[in-house]
Amino acid sequence: MVPRSVSYWLARSIESPNLNALELISVVTQLIYVLIFISVALSAVRQPTRAHGDMTLFFGAVAFIILASRVAALVGNAPPWLTTVEIAVLMALPYVLLRLVDDFTHVRSAIKRGAELGLAAGVIATYATAPALPTPVILYVVLYFFGVSIYCAFAFIRAARRSRGVTRRRMEAISLGSILLGTDILIAGLTPLAGPDDRAVLEALGQLLGLGSGVAYYLGFAPPAILRRAWQEPELRAFLARSASLPRLPATLDIVRELERGAANSTGTTARIGLWQDDTSKLRFWNEDETTLDLEPGKHFAGRAFELQRAIFSTDPIRDNPDGAADYRSLNVGAVLAAPITAGERRLGVLTFSAERPPIFAGSDIELAKLLADQAAVILESRALIDHAARVRAREEATRLKEDFLSAAAHDLKTPLTTVVAQAEFLERRATREPSAPADIAGIQRVVRESKRLAGLVGDLLDATRLEQGRLVGEREPVDIATLAQEVCTHDASDLSLCQVEASAPVVGVYDRRRVEQLLQNLVENARKYSPEQTPITIRVWQEDGEARVAVADSGIGIPAADLPRIFERFSRASNVDDRRFHGMGLGLFICRGIVEEHGGRIWVESEVGKGSTFHVALPIADGRRLN
Amino acid sequence: MRDLWAGGPPRDEQPPSSGGARNVARGQGHHGTVLVVDDDTSILDTVSSILSGEGYDVVSASSGQEALDAVARKVPLLILLDMRMPVMDGWAVARALRGQGITVPIIVMTAAESARRWADEVGAEGYLAKPFGLDDLLATVERFRASGGRAN
Repeated sequence: MVPRSVSYWLARSIESPNLNALELISVVTQLIYVLIFISVALSAVRQPTRAHGDMTLFFGAVAFIILASRVAALVGNAPPWLTTVEIAVLMALPYVLLRLVDDFTHVRSAIKRGAELGLAAGVIATYATAPALPTPVILYVVLYFFGVSIYCAFAFIRAARRSRGVTRRRMEAISLGSILLGTDILIAGLTPLAGPDDRAVLEALGQLLGLGSGVAYYLGFAPPAILRRAWQEPELRAFLARSASLPRLPATLDIVRELERGAANSTGTTARIGLWQDDTSKLRFWNEDETTLDLEPGKHFAGRAFELQRAIFSTDPIRDNPDGAADYRSLNVGAVLAAPITAGERRLGVLTFSAERPPIFAGSDIELAKLLADQAAVILESRALIDHAARVRAREEATRLKEDFLSAAAHDLKTPLTTVVAQAEFLERRATREPSAPADIAGIQRVVRESKRLAGLVGDLLDATRLEQGRLVGEREPVDIATLAQEVCTHDASDLSLCQVEASAPVVGVYDRRRVEQLLQNLVENARKYSPEQTPITIRVWQEDGEARVAVADSGIGIPAADLPRIFERFSRASNVDDRRFHGMGLGLFICRGIVEEHGGRIWVESEVGKGSTFHVALPIADGRRLN
Repeated sequence: MRDLWAGGPPRDEQPPSSGGARNVARGQGHHGTVLVVDDDTSILDTVSSILSGEGYDVVSASSGQEALDAVARKVPLLILLDMRMPVMDGWAVARALRGQGITVPIIVMTAAESARRWADEVGAEGYLAKPFGLDDLLATVERFRASGGRAN
């Protein structure tokens, strides 16, 4: 009778027509197990993976025990061999469970071998002593079952910790089912040893544990779609919440990284995204170290999924894609899933997942992967639209700047030209009418002055054009900046107290003399222009950290802080500058920056509105290659 | 200096005064007073010297406020008005004059492409697009002299 108590929860037949509560539970439990068997058997037919095979084996064994008990109950006395086979199959259950664990995560081979030996020993002992099993054999069988089940339960819990979403919940359910089943078998085995009063309690407890394990396994192995969706929701919700902000990340690569991270977290696998490159007609993947990997369409799983525009799933990547075998071996990849990222007609790329073991629940994982790929498509497409809009805006801005520049340049050129043309014509008219009249010196001076102003403006325009082509600086030679500064000062002001050079020693570097002179001139003119008349300008020249340093300080109107960042840009002027009071096209500082940067130096400004500005220049002191 | 012009200019019966006056030209002013307003002193001096050379009384102003002050002293025959000036630009000057009920004709001087539109905006009688030559300047101003006031 002992074997029957061992499989009591499974096989208790309806011996009495009066169903009591415990018997009802027993029937429900059996029904659940048979249902799970049918469900996993169907999955195995649809997707013949090892995991599905092992699931079918496990629930097939349970169904066999249930059916065998039913048959035995109908026939009356079961033949002794049937009981023995039942026990053997029952003992095989935890071993099959262990195989299932191995399908998803790694089980050390020592444990596998141990479980196999234990199973063999138990089956032999059962055969040897059947039909009346001695208590030690029963205890052995029960403890074996319990031990392996609990080990599996913990292995599933560990695997659950590593995964997310549906897979995690299902693993947790399976783990719970394994604990309940193992405990149930333990209690069933111990029941005959208990006193008659305790027996009824233990039997009831056993029935409840059996039902619990049935429900837990049902949720784990064949959860209804609504439950899968509910389990998936938090992961998806988190991913979607994050993804809303993704298109605005600074670079597409940042978006790819975030999507990969999100997809990996949602599935508990490694996720990679390859983006289609129109110029090379390849899929580009970005490695951790910023290097890239280009893949032709049709190659490997990613290329195939992209070409076929459908998800591809492989539980044996080495067999299905021998080209990548070395990589799969070295990276220990046992399952690959690739889904195309496509927005409408636009094929954007591919999302691939790889895991050490094929996921037990490939069905829901594939659905999730497709969902994530679709979401990635939405995000990447949004990004493309944002980029496109930004490009259009930048083009419009560039056009506007160009138009502004042209109209401002035209305006600035026309002003001196007005004087030159009208004044020259008037001088001509006067000279024709009255050749003997004395020269109109003031008029001639105006023509000369405005012609020079025109020449300066045209020169600035040419320099700005050269600068944009990066060829502002020409022939270089050793130049003493201190001496050059003194020359510029002398040229600026006849009264030397108005332009002072502070330099304790020559500061010699290898520069384009004409350009450095122009730089100093521009800075001094700039300072003069924005300073009250008769206020001194100081040029300090010194050497510091291997650099020639120049500081041109004035006590002028200063530059508002908001304007500082763009003061060196083309056609930029501080907002507190009256552009009619101060002539020029706003090219002076732009050219200064060009001269400094082409020399490999830096230029910056410190300024306080109303107090004055100090322009700083740092130029490399010596360029060995050019000196020698 | 006037003696030197005794031969008289070929076009004008009246000898012009010598040019270059900073404020009120010392010419005989037979053609009436022209107010020239421009913040660019070169243009201001050039236009002033040409017009006074051609026999106009010229008052020059290098800012909008100076222009209004000059009109307050004496309403001229014509105002040549630069549009882009700091502090008070051409629009503000025109607005202020119209606000005071002064209907003196204005000729807009500008280097901008939109010279004609700006002239319409301030209700000007015409415009001189910079850079303008001597003939443009004189022909424009003479229109107003011919009728002794407003052009028709």
